[in-house]
Amino acid sequence: MTTADTPNTHDLEKELLGFLEGRTGTAWDADTDLFDAGGLSSLFAMQVVVHLEKTYAIAVRGADLRLDNFRTVRRMAELVDRLRVAAAGGRHG
Amino acid sequence: MGEDLSGAMASVTLRVGDLAGEWDRTGLIPLDLLRELGAEGRLCAEVPEQYGGWGLSSTHSGAYTAHVGGLCSSLRSVMTSQGMAAWTIQRLGTAEQSAVHLPRLTGGGLAAVGFSEPGAGSDLAAMTTTIRRDGDAVVVDGHKKWVTAAHYADLLVIVGRFEDGAVAVVVPADTPGVRIERIADPLGCRAAGHADVHLDGVRLPADSVLGGHGLPPALLVTTALAYGRMSVAWGCVGILRACLAAATAHAAGREQFGRPLAEHQLVAGHLADLYTAEQVAARVCEHASRCWDEGSPDQVVATVLAKHVSATQAARGAATAVQVLASAGSRDGHAVARAYRDAKLMEIIEGSNELCRLMLAQHALSAQGAP
Repeated sequence: MTTADTPNTHDLEKELLGFLEGRTGTAWDADTDLFDAGGLSSLFAMQVVVHLEKTYAIAVRGADLRLDNFRTVRRMAELVDRLRVAAAGGRHG
Repeated sequence: MGEDLSGAMASVTLRVGDLAGEWDRTGLIPLDLLRELGAEGRLCAEVPEQYGGWGLSSTHSGAYTAHVGGLCSSLRSVMTSQGMAAWTIQRLGTAEQSAVHLPRLTGGGLAAVGFSEPGAGSDLAAMTTTIRRDGDAVVVDGHKKWVTAAHYADLLVIVGRFEDGAVAVVVPADTPGVRIERIADPLGCRAAGHADVHLDGVRLPADSVLGGHGLPPALLVTTALAYGRMSVAWGCVGILRACLAAATAHAAGREQFGRPLAEHQLVAGHLADLYTAEQVAARVCEHASRCWDEGSPDQVVATVLAKHVSATQAARGAATAVQVLASAGSRDGHAVARAYRDAKLMEIIEGSNELCRLMLAQHALSAQGAP
Protein backbone atom coordinates (compact mmCIF):
# COMPACT_ATOMS: atom_id res chain seq x y z
CA MET A 1 0.00 0.00 0.00
CA THR A 2 1.01 3.60 -0.30
CA THR A 3 2.00 5.85 2.54
CA ALA A 4 -1.55 7.22 2.52
CA ASP A 5 -2.51 4.71 5.23
CA THR A 6 0.20 5.55 7.74
CA PRO A 7 -0.82 7.36 10.95
CA ASN A 8 1.51 10.16 9.94
CA THR A 9 -0.59 10.83 6.83
CA HIS A 10 -3.78 10.67 8.86
CA ASP A 11 -2.51 13.45 11.15
CA LEU A 12 -1.55 15.44 8.10
CA GLU A 13 -5.06 15.13 6.68
CA LYS A 14 -6.53 16.23 9.99
CA GLU A 15 -4.33 19.30 10.12
CA LEU A 16 -5.18 20.20 6.53
CA LEU A 17 -8.91 19.77 7.10
CA GLY A 18 -8.58 22.09 10.10
CA PHE A 19 -6.75 24.68 7.98
CA LEU A 20 -9.43 24.53 5.27
CA GLU A 21 -12.27 24.81 7.73
CA GLY A 22 -10.62 27.78 9.41
CA ARG A 23 -10.15 29.55 6.07
CA THR A 24 -13.52 28.78 4.48
CA GLY A 25 -15.88 28.47 7.42
CA THR A 26 -16.97 25.10 5.99
CA ALA A 27 -16.20 21.51 7.00
CA TRP A 28 -14.69 19.38 4.20
CA ASP A 29 -14.04 15.66 3.63
CA ALA A 30 -10.62 14.38 2.74
CA ASP A 31 -12.00 13.18 -0.62
CA THR A 32 -14.02 16.25 -1.65
CA ASP A 33 -12.84 17.91 -4.86
CA LEU A 34 -12.22 21.38 -3.45
CA PHE A 35 -11.94 23.21 -6.74
CA ASP A 36 -14.65 21.58 -8.86
CA ALA A 37 -17.36 20.60 -6.36
CA GLY A 38 -16.04 22.93 -3.66
CA GLY A 39 -15.83 25.94 -5.96
CA LEU A 40 -12.62 27.27 -4.40
CA SER A 41 -10.55 29.73 -6.46
CA SER A 42 -7.00 29.69 -7.81
CA LEU A 43 -6.27 32.43 -5.29
CA PHE A 44 -7.27 29.95 -2.59
CA ALA A 45 -5.13 27.25 -4.21
CA MET A 46 -2.14 29.56 -3.78
CA GLN A 47 -2.94 30.02 -0.11
CA VAL A 48 -2.93 26.26 0.26
CA VAL A 49 0.45 26.02 -1.49
CA VAL A 50 1.99 28.62 0.82
CA HIS A 51 0.47 26.94 3.88
CA LEU A 52 1.93 23.55 2.92
CA GLU A 53 5.35 25.07 2.30
CA LYS A 54 5.40 26.93 5.60
CA THR A 55 3.91 24.19 7.77
CA TYR A 56 5.86 21.24 6.38
CA ALA A 57 9.09 22.97 5.37
CA ILE A 58 8.80 21.86 1.76
CA ALA A 59 9.12 23.72 -1.54
CA VAL A 60 6.31 23.16 -4.05
CA ARG A 61 7.83 24.05 -7.41
CA GLY A 62 7.42 23.42 -11.10
CA ALA A 63 5.25 20.48 -12.07
CA ASP A 64 4.33 19.80 -8.42
CA LEU A 65 2.07 22.86 -8.65
CA ARG A 66 -0.36 20.83 -10.82
CA LEU A 67 -3.88 21.33 -9.49
CA ASP A 68 -4.32 17.55 -9.32
CA ASN A 69 -1.98 17.59 -6.32
CA PHE A 70 -4.35 19.95 -4.48
CA ARG A 71 -7.70 18.68 -5.65
CA THR A 72 -8.46 16.87 -2.39
CA VAL A 73 -6.98 16.86 1.08
CA ARG A 74 -5.87 13.27 0.49
CA ARG A 75 -3.87 14.31 -2.58
CA MET A 76 -2.30 17.19 -0.67
CA ALA A 77 -1.20 14.84 2.10
CA GLU A 78 0.35 12.52 -0.49
CA LEU A 79 2.20 15.44 -2.04
CA VAL A 80 3.53 16.56 1.34
CA ASP A 81 4.68 13.02 2.12
CA ARG A 82 6.48 12.75 -1.17
CA LEU A 83 8.16 16.16 -0.93
CA ARG A 84 9.20 15.64 2.70
CA VAL A 85 11.02 12.47 1.67
CA ALA A 86 12.62 14.36 -1.22
CA ALA A 87 13.66 17.23 1.06
CA ALA A 88 15.17 14.87 3.63
CA GLY A 89 17.03 13.03 0.85
CA GLY A 90 18.25 16.34 -0.55
CA ARG A 91 19.67 17.49 2.77
CA HIS A 92 21.68 14.32 3.20
CA GLY A 93 22.63 14.09 -0.45
CA MET B 1 21.91 44.46 4.81
CA GLY B 2 20.85 47.87 6.18
CA GLU B 3 24.11 49.48 5.05
CA ASP B 4 23.94 47.69 1.71
CA LEU B 5 20.35 48.79 1.15
CA SER B 6 20.89 52.46 1.98
CA GLY B 7 24.08 52.45 -0.10
CA ALA B 8 22.19 51.00 -3.05
CA MET B 9 19.46 53.62 -2.65
CA ALA B 10 22.00 56.45 -2.61
CA SER B 11 23.72 54.96 -5.64
CA VAL B 12 20.58 54.69 -7.75
CA THR B 13 19.55 58.23 -6.71
CA LEU B 14 22.86 59.52 -8.06
CA ARG B 15 22.59 57.55 -11.28
CA VAL B 16 19.03 58.66 -12.02
CA GLY B 17 19.93 62.22 -11.02
CA ASP B 18 17.58 64.69 -12.68
CA LEU B 19 17.21 62.58 -15.83
CA ALA B 20 13.83 60.91 -15.19
CA GLY B 21 11.98 63.77 -16.91
CA GLU B 22 14.20 63.48 -19.98
CA TRP B 23 13.73 59.69 -20.12
CA ASP B 24 9.99 60.32 -19.93
CA ARG B 25 10.11 62.72 -22.86
CA THR B 26 12.43 60.60 -25.03
CA GLY B 27 10.83 57.29 -24.01
CA LEU B 28 14.18 55.61 -23.29
CA ILE B 29 16.31 54.73 -20.29
CA PRO B 30 19.99 54.32 -21.26
CA LEU B 31 20.61 50.61 -21.85
CA ASP B 32 24.00 50.81 -20.12
CA LEU B 33 22.33 51.92 -16.89
CA LEU B 34 19.85 49.03 -17.02
CA ARG B 35 22.65 46.53 -17.63
CA GLU B 36 24.75 47.98 -14.80
CA LEU B 37 21.88 47.82 -12.32
CA GLY B 38 21.06 44.33 -13.59
CA ALA B 39 24.63 43.10 -13.13
CA GLU B 40 24.52 44.37 -9.53
CA GLY B 41 21.38 42.28 -8.96
CA ARG B 42 19.37 45.44 -8.32
CA LEU B 43 16.65 44.81 -10.92
CA CYS B 44 15.42 41.59 -9.28
CA ALA B 45 16.41 42.15 -5.68
CA GLU B 46 14.82 39.02 -4.19
CA VAL B 47 16.75 36.45 -6.24
CA PRO B 48 18.72 34.33 -3.73
CA GLU B 49 22.46 34.83 -3.40
CA GLN B 50 23.11 31.27 -4.65
CA TYR B 51 22.02 32.50 -8.09
CA GLY B 52 24.12 35.64 -7.91
CA GLY B 53 21.19 37.69 -6.59
CA TRP B 54 20.95 40.37 -3.91
CA GLY B 55 18.82 38.05 -1.76
CA LEU B 56 16.62 40.72 -0.18
CA SER B 57 13.51 39.94 1.86
CA SER B 58 10.20 41.19 0.51
CA THR B 59 10.26 44.00 3.09
CA HIS B 60 13.72 45.25 2.07
CA SER B 61 13.02 44.73 -1.61
CA GLY B 62 9.82 46.76 -1.14
CA ALA B 63 11.75 49.62 0.45
CA TYR B 64 14.16 49.65 -2.51
CA THR B 65 11.30 49.40 -5.02
CA ALA B 66 9.49 52.35 -3.40
CA HIS B 67 12.72 54.34 -3.49
CA VAL B 68 13.21 53.73 -7.22
CA GLY B 69 9.48 54.29 -7.82
CA GLY B 70 9.84 57.75 -6.28
CA LEU B 71 12.65 58.56 -8.71
CA CYS B 72 11.33 57.09 -11.95
CA SER B 73 8.34 54.81 -12.49
CA SER B 74 9.71 53.68 -15.87
CA LEU B 75 12.84 52.31 -14.22
CA ARG B 76 10.70 50.78 -11.48
CA SER B 77 8.54 49.13 -14.17
CA VAL B 78 11.64 47.56 -15.73
CA MET B 79 12.47 46.22 -12.24
CA THR B 80 8.94 44.86 -11.90
CA SER B 81 9.31 42.95 -15.18
CA GLN B 82 12.76 41.64 -14.36
CA GLY B 83 11.70 40.59 -10.86
CA MET B 84 8.54 38.93 -12.13
CA ALA B 85 10.52 37.00 -14.76
CA ALA B 86 12.97 35.82 -12.10
CA TRP B 87 10.18 34.90 -9.70
CA THR B 88 8.32 32.96 -12.41
CA ILE B 89 11.46 31.00 -13.30
CA GLN B 90 12.19 30.31 -9.63
CA ARG B 91 8.65 29.32 -8.78
CA LEU B 92 7.56 27.39 -11.87
CA GLY B 93 10.89 26.12 -13.12
CA THR B 94 12.95 23.17 -11.96
CA ALA B 95 16.10 23.65 -9.87
CA GLU B 96 18.13 23.13 -13.06
CA GLN B 97 16.17 25.81 -14.91
CA SER B 98 16.72 28.26 -12.05
CA ALA B 99 20.44 27.49 -12.10
CA VAL B 100 20.60 28.18 -15.85
CA HIS B 101 18.42 31.29 -16.16
CA LEU B 102 18.60 33.23 -12.88
CA PRO B 103 22.32 34.02 -13.07
CA ARG B 104 21.64 35.65 -16.44
CA LEU B 105 19.07 37.94 -14.80
CA THR B 106 21.52 38.93 -12.08
CA GLY B 107 24.38 39.24 -14.56
CA GLY B 108 23.19 42.10 -16.76
CA GLY B 109 20.65 40.27 -18.93
CA LEU B 110 17.21 41.90 -19.14
CA ALA B 111 13.85 40.14 -19.13
CA ALA B 112 10.14 40.72 -19.71
CA VAL B 113 7.01 38.62 -19.12
CA GLY B 114 4.20 38.34 -21.70
CA PHE B 115 0.65 37.60 -20.52
CA SER B 116 -1.90 39.80 -22.32
CA GLU B 117 -3.08 39.20 -25.87
CA PRO B 118 -5.26 41.16 -28.28
CA GLY B 119 -8.28 39.03 -27.31
CA ALA B 120 -7.20 37.99 -23.80
CA GLY B 121 -6.55 40.72 -21.26
CA SER B 122 -8.18 39.89 -17.97
CA ASP B 123 -9.95 36.90 -19.57
CA LEU B 124 -7.09 34.44 -19.59
CA ALA B 125 -9.28 31.56 -20.69
CA ALA B 126 -9.30 33.28 -24.09
CA MET B 127 -5.49 33.04 -24.43
CA THR B 128 -4.53 31.72 -27.88
CA THR B 129 -0.72 31.60 -27.76
CA THR B 130 0.26 27.95 -28.14
CA ILE B 131 3.34 26.01 -27.15
CA ARG B 132 3.45 22.55 -28.72
CA ARG B 133 5.92 19.70 -28.72
CA ASP B 134 7.68 18.88 -31.96
CA GLY B 135 10.20 16.06 -31.55
CA ASP B 136 12.75 17.15 -28.95
CA ALA B 137 11.75 20.81 -29.36
CA VAL B 138 8.75 23.03 -28.65
CA VAL B 139 7.24 25.56 -31.05
CA VAL B 140 5.63 28.82 -29.88
CA ASP B 141 3.04 30.75 -31.88
CA GLY B 142 1.13 33.80 -30.69
CA HIS B 143 0.91 37.54 -30.11
CA LYS B 144 1.47 39.20 -26.74
CA LYS B 145 0.42 42.79 -26.11
CA TRP B 146 1.80 45.53 -23.88
CA VAL B 147 4.78 43.55 -22.63
CA THR B 148 6.56 45.93 -20.25
CA ALA B 149 10.33 46.16 -20.83
CA ALA B 150 10.18 43.90 -23.91
CA HIS B 151 11.96 46.61 -25.92
CA TYR B 152 15.04 46.15 -23.71
CA ALA B 153 14.72 42.41 -23.06
CA ASP B 154 17.21 39.67 -23.89
CA LEU B 155 14.89 37.00 -22.48
CA LEU B 156 11.11 36.81 -22.77
CA VAL B 157 9.00 34.67 -20.44
CA ILE B 158 5.89 33.88 -22.48
CA VAL B 159 2.72 32.30 -21.12
CA GLY B 160 0.75 30.06 -23.46
CA ARG B 161 -1.41 26.97 -23.81
CA PHE B 162 0.46 23.68 -23.52
CA GLU B 163 -1.09 20.21 -23.62
CA ASP B 164 -3.97 20.18 -21.11
CA GLY B 165 -3.06 23.45 -19.36
CA ALA B 166 -0.79 26.47 -19.59
CA VAL B 167 2.94 26.96 -19.12
CA ALA B 168 5.54 29.71 -19.16
CA VAL B 169 8.36 29.28 -21.64
CA VAL B 170 11.72 31.08 -21.72
CA VAL B 171 12.37 32.61 -25.15
CA PRO B 172 15.65 34.37 -26.02
CA ALA B 173 14.57 37.58 -27.75
CA ASP B 174 16.90 36.93 -30.69
CA THR B 175 15.34 33.55 -31.57
CA PRO B 176 14.19 33.40 -35.22
CA GLY B 177 10.45 34.10 -35.44
CA VAL B 178 10.40 36.62 -32.54
CA ARG B 179 9.44 40.17 -33.52
CA ILE B 180 9.28 42.94 -30.91
CA GLU B 181 7.31 46.03 -31.88
CA ARG B 182 7.61 49.08 -29.67
CA ILE B 183 4.36 50.74 -28.51
CA ALA B 184 4.52 54.41 -29.49
CA ASP B 185 3.63 57.08 -26.92
CA PRO B 186 2.21 55.10 -23.98
CA LEU B 187 0.19 57.19 -21.50
CA GLY B 188 2.57 56.53 -18.62
CA CYS B 189 5.87 54.85 -17.67
CA ARG B 190 6.89 56.06 -21.10
CA ALA B 191 10.46 54.80 -20.90
CA ALA B 192 9.52 51.33 -19.62
CA GLY B 193 9.93 49.81 -23.09
CA HIS B 194 6.36 48.55 -23.61
CA ALA B 195 6.11 46.47 -26.77
CA ASP B 196 3.97 43.95 -28.61
CA VAL B 197 5.68 40.61 -29.09
CA HIS B 198 4.91 38.50 -32.15
CA LEU B 199 5.94 34.82 -32.04
CA ASP B 200 5.79 33.00 -35.33
CA GLY B 201 6.89 29.35 -35.36
CA VAL B 202 9.49 30.04 -32.67
CA ARG B 203 11.44 26.81 -32.14
CA LEU B 204 13.09 26.18 -28.76
CA PRO B 205 14.65 23.28 -26.85
CA ALA B 206 11.99 21.39 -24.86
CA ASP B 207 13.67 22.34 -21.58
CA SER B 208 12.64 25.96 -22.23
CA VAL B 209 9.22 25.01 -20.80
CA LEU B 210 9.32 25.97 -17.12
CA GLY B 211 8.48 22.92 -14.99
CA GLY B 212 7.74 20.85 -18.08
CA HIS B 213 4.04 20.29 -17.35
CA GLY B 214 0.84 22.25 -17.93
CA LEU B 215 -0.81 24.07 -15.00
CA PRO B 216 -4.30 25.60 -14.81
CA PRO B 217 -4.00 28.99 -16.58
CA ALA B 218 -5.47 30.94 -13.65
CA LEU B 219 -3.10 29.34 -11.14
CA LEU B 220 -0.10 29.90 -13.39
CA VAL B 221 -0.86 33.56 -13.99
CA THR B 222 -1.86 34.31 -10.40
CA THR B 223 1.43 32.79 -9.26
CA ALA B 224 3.54 34.74 -11.75
CA LEU B 225 1.70 38.02 -11.12
CA ALA B 226 2.04 37.83 -7.33
CA TYR B 227 5.56 39.26 -7.48
CA GLY B 228 4.56 41.90 -10.01
CA ARG B 229 1.67 43.02 -7.84
CA MET B 230 3.95 43.53 -4.84
CA SER B 231 6.40 45.45 -6.99
CA VAL B 232 3.70 47.71 -8.43
CA ALA B 233 2.23 48.25 -4.96
CA TRP B 234 5.58 49.38 -3.52
CA GLY B 235 6.28 51.43 -6.65
CA CYS B 236 3.03 53.31 -5.98
CA VAL B 237 4.23 54.09 -2.45
CA GLY B 238 7.23 55.72 -4.12
CA ILE B 239 4.97 57.72 -6.44
CA LEU B 240 3.04 58.99 -3.41
CA ARG B 241 6.24 59.94 -1.56
CA ALA B 242 7.48 61.90 -4.56
CA CYS B 243 4.11 63.64 -4.88
CA LEU B 244 3.98 64.47 -1.18
CA ALA B 245 7.48 65.93 -1.28
CA ALA B 246 6.72 68.05 -4.35
CA ALA B 247 3.37 69.26 -3.01
CA THR B 248 4.62 70.22 0.46
CA ALA B 249 7.67 72.02 -0.96
CA HIS B 250 5.51 73.98 -3.36
CA ALA B 251 2.80 74.79 -0.82
CA ALA B 252 5.35 75.96 1.75
CA GLY B 253 7.32 78.07 -0.73
CA ARG B 254 4.74 79.80 -2.90
CA GLU B 255 2.69 82.71 -1.60
CA GLN B 256 -0.76 83.79 -2.73
CA PHE B 257 -3.02 86.40 -1.12
CA GLY B 258 -0.10 87.39 1.14
CA ARG B 259 0.66 84.01 2.74
CA PRO B 260 2.06 80.59 1.81
CA LEU B 261 -0.29 78.27 -0.05
CA ALA B 262 -0.02 75.80 2.83
CA GLU B 263 -1.80 78.27 5.11
CA HIS B 264 -4.85 78.27 2.89
CA GLN B 265 -7.07 75.62 4.38
CA LEU B 266 -8.25 74.09 1.13
CA VAL B 267 -4.63 73.57 0.06
CA ALA B 268 -3.69 72.23 3.50
CA GLY B 269 -6.51 69.72 3.07
CA HIS B 270 -4.83 68.42 -0.10
CA LEU B 271 -1.56 67.98 1.79
CA ALA B 272 -3.32 66.04 4.54
CA ASP B 273 -4.97 63.81 1.92
CA LEU B 274 -1.62 63.13 0.24
CA TYR B 275 0.06 62.31 3.54
CA THR B 276 -2.81 59.98 4.43
CA ALA B 277 -2.61 58.25 1.04
CA GLU B 278 1.14 57.67 1.41
CA GLN B 279 0.75 56.29 4.93
CA VAL B 280 -2.15 54.00 4.05
CA ALA B 281 -0.36 52.59 1.00
CA ALA B 282 2.89 52.08 2.92
CA ARG B 283 1.16 50.25 5.80
CA VAL B 284 -0.76 47.89 3.53
CA CYS B 285 2.44 47.10 1.58
CA GLU B 286 4.42 46.52 4.77
CA HIS B 287 1.75 44.11 5.94
CA ALA B 288 1.81 42.17 2.67
CA SER B 289 5.62 41.99 2.63
CA ARG B 290 5.63 40.78 6.23
CA CYS B 291 3.25 37.99 5.19
CA TRP B 292 5.67 37.03 2.39
CA ASP B 293 8.67 37.09 4.72
CA GLU B 294 6.87 34.97 7.31
CA GLY B 295 5.60 32.52 4.69
CA SER B 296 2.02 33.20 5.76
CA PRO B 297 -0.80 32.02 3.45
CA ASP B 298 -2.33 35.45 4.08
CA GLN B 299 0.25 36.80 1.60
CA VAL B 300 -1.95 35.81 -1.33
CA VAL B 301 -4.86 38.08 -0.48
CA ALA B 302 -2.63 40.71 1.18
CA THR B 303 -0.79 41.06 -2.15
CA VAL B 304 -3.99 41.79 -4.09
CA LEU B 305 -5.09 44.21 -1.38
CA ALA B 306 -1.73 46.01 -1.40
CA LYS B 307 -1.75 46.35 -5.18
CA HIS B 308 -5.30 47.64 -5.25
CA VAL B 309 -4.99 50.08 -2.34
CA SER B 310 -1.63 51.46 -3.47
CA ALA B 311 -2.63 51.90 -7.11
CA THR B 312 -5.89 53.68 -6.29
CA GLN B 313 -4.22 55.86 -3.64
CA ALA B 314 -1.41 56.74 -6.05
CA ALA B 315 -3.79 57.67 -8.86
CA ARG B 316 -5.82 59.91 -6.56
CA GLY B 317 -2.75 61.27 -4.77
CA ALA B 318 -0.97 62.16 -8.01
CA ALA B 319 -4.05 64.04 -9.21
CA THR B 320 -4.07 65.93 -5.89
CA ALA B 321 -0.38 66.80 -6.27
CA VAL B 322 -0.96 68.22 -9.77
CA GLN B 323 -3.81 70.28 -8.30
CA VAL B 324 -1.51 71.73 -5.61
CA LEU B 325 1.32 72.52 -8.02
CA ALA B 326 -1.11 73.68 -10.70
CA SER B 327 0.70 75.27 -13.64
CA ALA B 328 4.10 74.58 -12.04
CA GLY B 329 3.50 70.83 -12.40
CA SER B 330 1.54 70.80 -15.61
CA ARG B 331 4.11 69.93 -18.21
CA ASP B 332 5.48 66.62 -19.43
CA GLY B 333 8.56 65.48 -17.62
CA HIS B 334 7.72 67.24 -14.31
CA ALA B 335 7.67 64.82 -11.38
CA VAL B 336 3.97 65.27 -10.59
CA ALA B 337 2.90 65.26 -14.25
CA ARG B 338 4.77 61.99 -14.71
CA ALA B 339 3.25 60.65 -11.50
CA TYR B 340 -0.24 61.57 -12.73
CA ARG B 341 0.17 59.57 -15.95
CA ASP B 342 2.24 56.75 -14.45
CA ALA B 343 -0.12 56.18 -11.51
CA LYS B 344 -3.13 55.90 -13.79
CA LEU B 345 -1.47 52.97 -15.58
CA MET B 346 -0.92 51.29 -12.21
CA GLU B 347 -4.71 51.01 -11.86
CA ILE B 348 -4.71 48.96 -15.05
CA ILE B 349 -1.67 46.66 -15.10
CA GLU B 350 -1.07 43.44 -13.10
CA GLY B 351 -4.81 43.14 -12.44
CA SER B 352 -7.08 46.13 -13.01
CA ASN B 353 -8.95 47.81 -10.16
CA GLU B 354 -12.03 45.89 -11.25
CA LEU B 355 -10.32 42.48 -11.21
CA CYS B 356 -8.71 43.19 -7.85
CA ARG B 357 -12.11 44.08 -6.42
CA LEU B 358 -13.61 40.86 -7.81
CA MET B 359 -10.84 38.83 -6.17
CA LEU B 360 -11.25 40.66 -2.87
CA ALA B 361 -15.02 40.14 -2.96
CA GLN B 362 -14.54 36.45 -3.70
CA HIS B 363 -12.18 36.19 -0.76
CA ALA B 364 -14.58 38.03 1.53
CA LEU B 365 -17.36 35.64 0.56
CA SER B 366 -15.35 32.43 0.88
CA ALA B 367 -13.89 33.50 4.23
CA GLN B 368 -17.48 33.70 5.48
CA GLY B 369 -18.27 30.15 4.37
CA ALA B 370 -20.01 31.15 1.15
CA PRO B 371 -17.66 29.94 -1.61
